[in-house]
Order: sequence, then C-alpha cells, then structure tokens
Amino acid sequence: MNPYTWVWQYVRRNHAKMVIAVILILLNALAIVVAPLLGGMIVDQVIEQGHTDRLIPMLAIMIGVTLFRTIIRYIYCILFEQIGQNALFDIRHDLFAKLQSLDFNFFNTVRTGDIMARMTGDTDAIRNMIAWVSYNAIECVLWFLAAVIVMSVINVPLMIALVVLTPLIGILTYKMSSQALPIFFELRQSFARLNAMVEENISGNRVVKAFAREQYEIDKFEKLNLEYKARNMDSARISRRYLPPLDFIASLLSVIVLFMGGGLVIAGKMSLGDLVTFNGFLWMLNQPMRMSGWLINDMQRFSAATIKIRSMLAAKPAITGKPAAVPARVRGEVTFDHVSFAYPDDPDTPVLDDINFDVLPGQTMGILGETGSGKSTLMDLIARFYDPTKGQVLIDGKDAKDWPVRTLRDQITVVMQDLFLFSDSIQDNISYGNHTADAPFIKQMATVASADEFIEEMPEGYDTVVGERGVGLSGGQKQRISLTRALVKDPRILILDDTTSALDMETEAEIQGHLKSAAADKTVFIIASRISSLRAADQIIVLRHGRIVERGTHETLLAQNGYYAETYKKQLGATDGGDDHGQA
Amino acid sequence: MAKRNTFDEDEEYSEKFNFHDYARLGHYLRPYKKKLALALGSILIGNVALILGPYLTKVAIDNYIPNHNMAALGILSGVFLVTLMIAFACYRYRIWAITEIGQDLLRDMRTDIFTHLQTLPFSYFDSRPHGKILIRVVNYINTLSDLLSNGLINLISDLINLLVTLVFMFAINWRLTLYSMLLIPVLAVWTWVIQHYQHKAYQELSNKQSNLNAYIHESIAGIKVTQGFAQEANATETFDGVAEENRRTYMTAVRWQFALWPGVQNISTLTTALIYFIGIQQVGVVVSTGTLIAFLGYVNNFWNPVINIGNFYNSLITASAYLERIFETLDEKPEVTDQPGAFALPPIHGDVRFDDVSFRYDPDEPEILHHVDFHAAPGETIALVGPTGAGKSTIINLLSRFYNVSDGRVLIDGVDISRVTIQSLRAQMGVMLQDTFIFSGTIMENIRYGKLDATEEEIIQASKVARADDFIRDLKDGYNTIVQERGVSLSAGQRQLIAFARTLLANPKILILDEATAAIDTHTEQLLQAGLQELLRGRTSFIVAHRLSTIQRADKILVINHGEIVEAGNHNELMAKHGEYFQLYDAQLRMLKAL
Repeated sequence: MNPYTWVWQYVRRNHAKMVIAVILILLNALAIVVAPLLGGMIVDQVIEQGHTDRLIPMLAIMIGVTLFRTIIRYIYCILFEQIGQNALFDIRHDLFAKLQSLDFNFFNTVRTGDIMARMTGDTDAIRNMIAWVSYNAIECVLWFLAAVIVMSVINVPLMIALVVLTPLIGILTYKMSSQALPIFFELRQSFARLNAMVEENISGNRVVKAFAREQYEIDKFEKLNLEYKARNMDSARISRRYLPPLDFIASLLSVIVLFMGGGLVIAGKMSLGDLVTFNGFLWMLNQPMRMSGWLINDMQRFSAATIKIRSMLAAKPAITGKPAAVPARVRGEVTFDHVSFAYPDDPDTPVLDDINFDVLPGQTMGILGETGSGKSTLMDLIARFYDPTKGQVLIDGKDAKDWPVRTLRDQITVVMQDLFLFSDSIQDNISYGNHTADAPFIKQMATVASADEFIEEMPEGYDTVVGERGVGLSGGQKQRISLTRALVKDPRILILDDTTSALDMETEAEIQGHLKSAAADKTVFIIASRISSLRAADQIIVLRHGRIVERGTHETLLAQNGYYAETYKKQLGATDGGDDHGQA
Repeated sequence: MAKRNTFDEDEEYSEKFNFHDYARLGHYLRPYKKKLALALGSILIGNVALILGPYLTKVAIDNYIPNHNMAALGILSGVFLVTLMIAFACYRYRIWAITEIGQDLLRDMRTDIFTHLQTLPFSYFDSRPHGKILIRVVNYINTLSDLLSNGLINLISDLINLLVTLVFMFAINWRLTLYSMLLIPVLAVWTWVIQHYQHKAYQELSNKQSNLNAYIHESIAGIKVTQGFAQEANATETFDGVAEENRRTYMTAVRWQFALWPGVQNISTLTTALIYFIGIQQVGVVVSTGTLIAFLGYVNNFWNPVINIGNFYNSLITASAYLERIFETLDEKPEVTDQPGAFALPPIHGDVRFDDVSFRYDPDEPEILHHVDFHAAPGETIALVGPTGAGKSTIINLLSRFYNVSDGRVLIDGVDISRVTIQSLRAQMGVMLQDTFIFSGTIMENIRYGKLDATEEEIIQASKVARADDFIRDLKDGYNTIVQERGVSLSAGQRQLIAFARTLLANPKILILDEATAAIDTHTEQLLQAGLQELLRGRTSFIVAHRLSTIQRADKILVINHGEIVEAGNHNELMAKHGEYFQLYDAQLRMLKAL
C-alpha cells in the first residue's frame, strides 16, 4: 500500500467534510475569476463609457464577492484542518493502542525517544499533508486547468508554447521526489536519535550527575545536534537543486508571453488587448509550477514520516490470546509442564530449561536463585508476558495460550522488581488496577502492605502526588505502594518478585504476617533472596542457570544441605557472628 | 519539595505576548550577522530583479508592441531573461544561506538548553513529567524553524516591496495614496484583537502538546505495569482524552490564526473600491484614466506584502507561545553552581567532616536535617542506618553536593566543598544509587560510563570484581550485547551488578552506596563482599543498607532518625549502649532465630 492509500483510510472517514470542502474550493476558484473581470468592466463601462450609475452596484458586487470568497476559503481551510486533526487523532489512537498491545520484545529493541518521535514529529508531517498540502495541490491543479482553458480560448499557439514546458516541470519534480524521500527519511531518523538521546539524558539525570558526566553528555548531544543540522542541510541541498530551476521555468513563461505574444501582436495574429488579458491569467499557470516543488517536498516529507509509523502499526505482538467469550474465573492452579524458554533475540541460550511444578489454588510457592537464574522470566511466563519455547504453562489445567490474555492478566498480578509508579496521586496509583476500589478498601490493603502509616504521614496523605517512576519515594516505600496496588486489584494469583528487598526485616515480617490472612485464598509466588521471606511457603524451588536444582519445603531443603541450606546459614551467620569483623 | 506537575495538569504561563523574547532570540542571530547580511543582499538583488520583470512587460506593451518594434522587443525579452537568471542565482544562494543560519541558530539554542539542563537540580526533574522537559529541548525549538527560514525571508522582501510600492504611489498621487491608507487603523484593530486570542490559544495548545508528550512518555516507561494490570483499554482512553484536548485547542488556535487573512483581504477590497469611487469622481479633474488604472495596480501591490507581513506577525505570535517555554527553561536557576572563585579540588585522601550541617529545600520549608555533625577518617566505612525518610539519602546528597547545605559546612580534607568546582568534587566520588539507570547501548559502553578512557581489560577486570563478568559472558554478544534504557531484558540484580562495575571503574576516593545491593541475591552478594572489601580498601565509604551483614562491619555506624544523628559508634559500642541500634539489631536477630 502506498502512503496515500494508507492515509486515505483515515481521511475518508470525513467524507462529508471532504465533499463540502472540495465544493467550496471550486466556488472560490470561480469567485477569484470574477474579481479581475469586474475590474475590467469598471474600467470599460464606467471610466471609458461614462456609465457612472453602474459604479456603486459594481463596487458592491466586488465587495460582496470578496466577502463571499474569503469566508468560503476560511471555511474550507478550517474544514481541511479539521479533517487533518481527525485523521491525526485516529492515527495517534491506533499507534497508542498498538503500543499497549506490543510485548516486551518490541520495547527491548526500540528506544523510548524513537517511539515518541513517531507519535509527535512524524504525525505532524501527516497533519501537514492532509490539512495544507492537499488543498493547495487541488487549488494548483484547478488553476492550471482553468488557465489552460482560458488561454486556449484566447490564443491556442501561445498556450501550447507555454504548456510545452510542463513536461520539464514533470521531470524535475519527479527527480526531486525520488531524491527527497531517502533524505527526509534520514532526517526523521536523525530527529528520532536526537529525541532518544535527550530522553535518556533526562531519565538518567541522577546517573549523569553522580558521575559528573555533564560534559560527556553535552559532547554526545552536540554530535547528534550537528548531525541533525547536517540532515536538514541535506534537505536544503535538494531544495537548492530543484526549487530555483522550477521557479525559473515558471518565470520563463512571462518572457515567452512577452516575446512570442508580442511577436504575434506585431504579426497581427493577436490583439494587444488579448495579450494583456493573457498576461493577466499567467499567474494561474506559473503559480502551480512554482508551488510544485514545495508540494513535492512536503509530500515526500509525509511519505518518509509514514514509514516508521506504519512499521509500528504493522508490528505483531507475539502474545495473542483467544478473545474472551465469557469472563472466566481463574481458580489459581499453576502447572509448568516441561517448560523451556529462550529470548527470541538469543534463541541458543536457554533462560529456563525443562521446568516442572504444580502449585494448587491457595498454595504459596517460594523461589530462590541467583541473579539471572531465570526467576523473573519464570514469573513473566505465568502472566504470559512471554510464551514458552517448549512445553506448556497451564492455568487451572488449561494451556495459558488458550486463555484470553485479558482474563489472565486480570487475575494474575505481578509486583515487579522494576517498580514503576505514575506521576499521579498515591490514591490513583494504588487503584490503578481496580478503579472501582473505594477508599476504605484501599486503606485496608495499604495496611496489609504496611504502607498506610507512611502514606498518612505525607503532607497530603493519599492525595500526595508522586513523580514519574515514583521519584521522591524511597525504594522501600515504592515497594509497599506497588504491593498495595497489587492487593487492591484482588487477583487470584499474586506474584511477588523481590517485593520486600528494600525493607528492613521487621517491616518485612510484619507484611508477611498480614499477607497470611489477606492472601490466604490466593495462589502466591514469592521470589526472594531472604530465607525469611520464603520459609513459610508450601513449596520452595531453587533455580540455577534456568533449571530447578532443589525443591521441597523449608525443612526438607535444610535437610538436603544444598544451596538453600547454605544460603540460610550465610544469612543466619551474618548476624550470629556479629563480633567477627573480617567474616565473609 | 516543590509542587509536582502531572501529565494532565497545565503549566502556568505569562499573560501577555512578550516582545522581549524576540529581542532575546535576536541575540542568537548575532554570530551570523555577516552571513545574514549576505543573505539579505541576495534577497534584495533577487527581488529587484523580479520587480523589473513586470515593468519590462509594461514598457513593451505600452511602447514597443504597438509600434511594431520587434528588435526592441527582442532586446527587452533578453533583458528579462537575464533578470530571471540573476533571480535564479540569488534564489539558489538564499535557500542555502537562510536554511543554514536558521539551522545554526536552532542548533545553538538546543545546545544552550541542553547544557543548561545539565546544571539543574534533581528537584527540577523530579517535579514534572520527563516528557514535558523533553518537548522543550526538541519539539518546541523545531517549531521556530519555519519562522526563522521562510518567515524571515518573506518579511524582508515584503518590507522592501511595500516600501518601493509606497514610493511609487506617492509619486503618482499623494491624495489617493492617503485614501488608500485610510483603512490601515481598521486592520490594526483587527490584528490586535486576533493576536490577543491567538496568543492565548497557542499557549493553551503548547500546554496540551506538552501534556500529550508527557503521557506518551510515561505510558512507554510504565508499559509493563499497564499490561500487567490489564489496563490497556483504560490507558488508551486516557490517551484519547489527552489527544482530544490537543485536537480541540489546535482547532481553536487555527480558527483565530486563519481569521487574519479574510480580514486583510476584505479591507484590501474595500480600499480598492474606495479608490475607484473617489478616483472616478476625480477623473478628468485631478487624475487621468491611465493614472487611475496604474494606481489601482499599485494598490494591489501594496496589499500583498501587507497580507504577508500580517502572516509573519501571525507566526511570531504562534512561536512566542513556544519561545516563552524555551526561555523559561533557560531561566530556571540551577540550585548548585560553582561559586565565584571556585577552585578544583585537589586529589583527595577522603577525610570527610560534617560540621553542624542543617538542611531545608527552601527557606520557607521545614528543616529536614538538624545539626548533623560527624567525622570520617580516610579509608573508613560509615554505615547509615535508620527508618525510611529519616534523612539518610539527604546526607548523601549533601556530600555529593547535589544540594547545598543551609547551615554549617561539609569539609573534605579540610576544604569546604561549597568552595570547589562541582566537577572536580564529583569526579572523585562514586555514587551508586538505588535506581540503576542503564543507557541504551552496549554493556561495555554502560560500564565505561564510569571512566571514559577505560580499556576493555579494565572494564572486564571491574566486571569481574563486581561479579558481573559471568552473566555478561553468558549473554548473546557478551560485552557487546545491546541493552535498552530501562534494561528490561536484564534483571534488577544484573543491572545493579553493572552499575556496581561502573562505579568500581570510576575508582573514586569516596564511595557512596545507597541501598545499592538490595536486589542482589545472597550468594552473589557474598561473592560481591570479597570484591566489595577490595573496593572499600583505601576509600572512605558511606553505605546505606538494611542488611546487618553489611552494616556491622562498618567502622562507624550512624543511626539517623527524624533528621538527626541519634547514635554513633561501631557495632560493639552501639550494642553496649542498648539504644535504638541495639533494638533494631535485636529485632532482626530474633527474626532470624525464629527461622
């Protein structure tokens, strides 16, 4: 599909507006022809022939026509802007909805600033195309056709002498358009890189300051800034190559009219009056020629902008589910049946290898393992952020792929290691997954997560606005708010991925105590590195390099004397040997 | 903390259109004075050449064609052709020159705003969505581009045209000229009314665009939460709301913006009618028919540039809404700057002293640190213990001079850190934060951030000590594996290990670890401890942590609560005291025993 057919699906939704706008353009074109004719009539009839009584009505018509055509033009300009805005709204909506549906594979490979550039700068080129280029192009074509008709009426040979130059314009604009496209695409890319770099600089401002790397960042920025300027100059180079010749050819028409038309008059094949009239209509021919370069430029800018937007719209999420026929309820049994997993960009490195387990509804499973042993990936498979490469993940005995994604995510909640809060009030952050939750319930769940106390101590309590990513809160506070958010959603399966690591042990124990009753009927997965967080679990697995190396309960694992027991001893020993300074 | 802005909240703006902003914009043109003069010269020559064309046609039609003078017609056409060639050359030059001046200016502005951003405190970044900062550096500045290239060219050529036309008009008939200027005040009023609403409308639009950018940014950053909570539909609905606000304000803005043109057109036609009316009454009395027709031609010529100048004014108004925001950012005061006469901190030993330090964010906000006083000898390890929000992170922020103390002094090797350059201070400090940020790029590049000229061997060595080497080698492309901003493909623990290697590589004399190992498992942490011990040797270090294993080994433990040091000493001393530390320790111990 070419970019114009693509954008047409958005534009045509406004067909009523389109039809009206085009009719108004035609009316305006007619009115524009009237004005010079009226001027001629005044000169002929009033001044030359002395019909002074006709002056006032003629002037009234002139004023009336102007009023009429300016209003018409105002209306269709606004109509086109409206169509442009409507299309822009729909395109942005589609982009955003797509963004929401894409899985992590996409976000792992495309930079935030790049996505943002598509949704703002790139979409603007589309708006410009619909709201400005389109009617200017229509106007230009109209002028051109009108000029050809009017001129053929006056003098055919002279008209042909002018129109003969049109193929030249065609060749130039064709060459221009083919050269401009890659340059505009590079310009968009350069813009995206600049945007992405600045975005990361702003998001990472703490690291930049901590390492005093301001100058390094400025140098990096300068490089991209210069590159962006260079790409802009590339596009100016195309303009410089093609716009002046197009302008020259358009102006050349005047010379041809002067020389050839003058010659025709001298030869007696044309009247002087006709030459003057001919000359008067010349702008209708050379204006479109002049504009052609600009319009082609903007059209190619538009085409370049659609490339990345369309590639994003075409991206397919790997995770697709059956549509939810009936909102089924999850009981909470989770079974891993010979599950293996590798990331798509690195299929040869198994992150999970032949995982088997079965957790019954209401049970708690603890997971221990080293950094990078696959714990978080395992959790991502339960919530279907990824699908296993081998084996099956079963929820209530049914393959997770056969569940509607929405049903699963509605009833499985992960409190992620990477904590994210929105720049919104604490109240709204907590009710993010359950907008209907009332204040008492929220407060109750915050109490379970031991968050109520510190929230109430904040200047505006639950209405306190936190910064993006939860800046201004400590790690422990963010963890407790995230936990509250998950609890308020009241899921059947609750996954706690290192949710209490930034808390002191006292608070952690307190939360665990609360959870025991509050989450008694839920299936709970706990990933933790502290034995204290895991010991009460019904079953515990130890992961190492993506495999389950130990499994059992706290007691049986201790008896096995493996990694679990070793970890337990280390953690216990750390406080036991308080006096021992050099102990590792 | 200052009031936080959110994505759906508009920022404040000034009431009036501010010409001062344009004077400031003018400053940016200064370095390009010469280029600009040349460009203007080419515009001038090109315009004169273009004005000559119709004149030549007029001469031919008036004189040579009626006289059947083919030779003169040929010469005239030749001259016409030459003027077109001159115009062609000028046009070529001007496209290049004007674009370059415009782009250079925008580049300068972008550099200025980006450089300035680097000096702003955390609080600036923390108090508004990042998308709103981003839009100022990139998108807003881009909106000026059209004004600076096409706008500028047209303004100048239009002014010239206007002037030339006026001279001709006065030469022909001063009375009619005055009549044709009769409606100028009406135009002025029309323009003034529109600009008032247009300016407001564009300010509102810029706000809505900023909100949109903020929401997109936040949605991408929080995508995992949105998907995890199955809130995609709700997020899209919110987005549609923000996008709808954009559509609405945009339409309001263009409705005003486009209203200028019909006004000018109608006033122009009224003027033409007026000239016909008055001129015809005077035909034969004061003016000849020929003069009247010629004069009417000039009236048309007169209004064209006026319309264009109106359009230029229009774009000035539009741009001012963005310019305001850009300059507002540039005027944002950095909280911490080098004092006049600041000197580079010489290589330090790491003796740190807090001398009766108190701190508040703002004079009218409550104090959050009270009279903190302690000393750390070179090479000592200081642990900061205390409940969340007690002031541990504030102490650390003051030490790295992310904020200036309100009272008292922070001394390093006896030098008051407020007197040294920030760069020289922070370059000798290593701070590892809770929130580990990974830049998009390779893992190698991310670690190298700690020491820009580090060799690969150094980087690998640092990674080994940080226990990151193993997992990095397991990745698809090892050290050359490309990771993204938030490093979604890395676990939180892995990110901390990378950040750890990064800090190690920087080889700082003073090391600050702010809950830096919370996400790392016990086994790795134990391995890390060996590396950590190596790292801590010969460095003064400050550790904020909950794990007692890390804390009890410290030379000095500061127990912080409510912005004060409530206890200080080593593990044994504090245990003997039976104070807060004892209770904290005891509670943890009992819990572990309960296992």
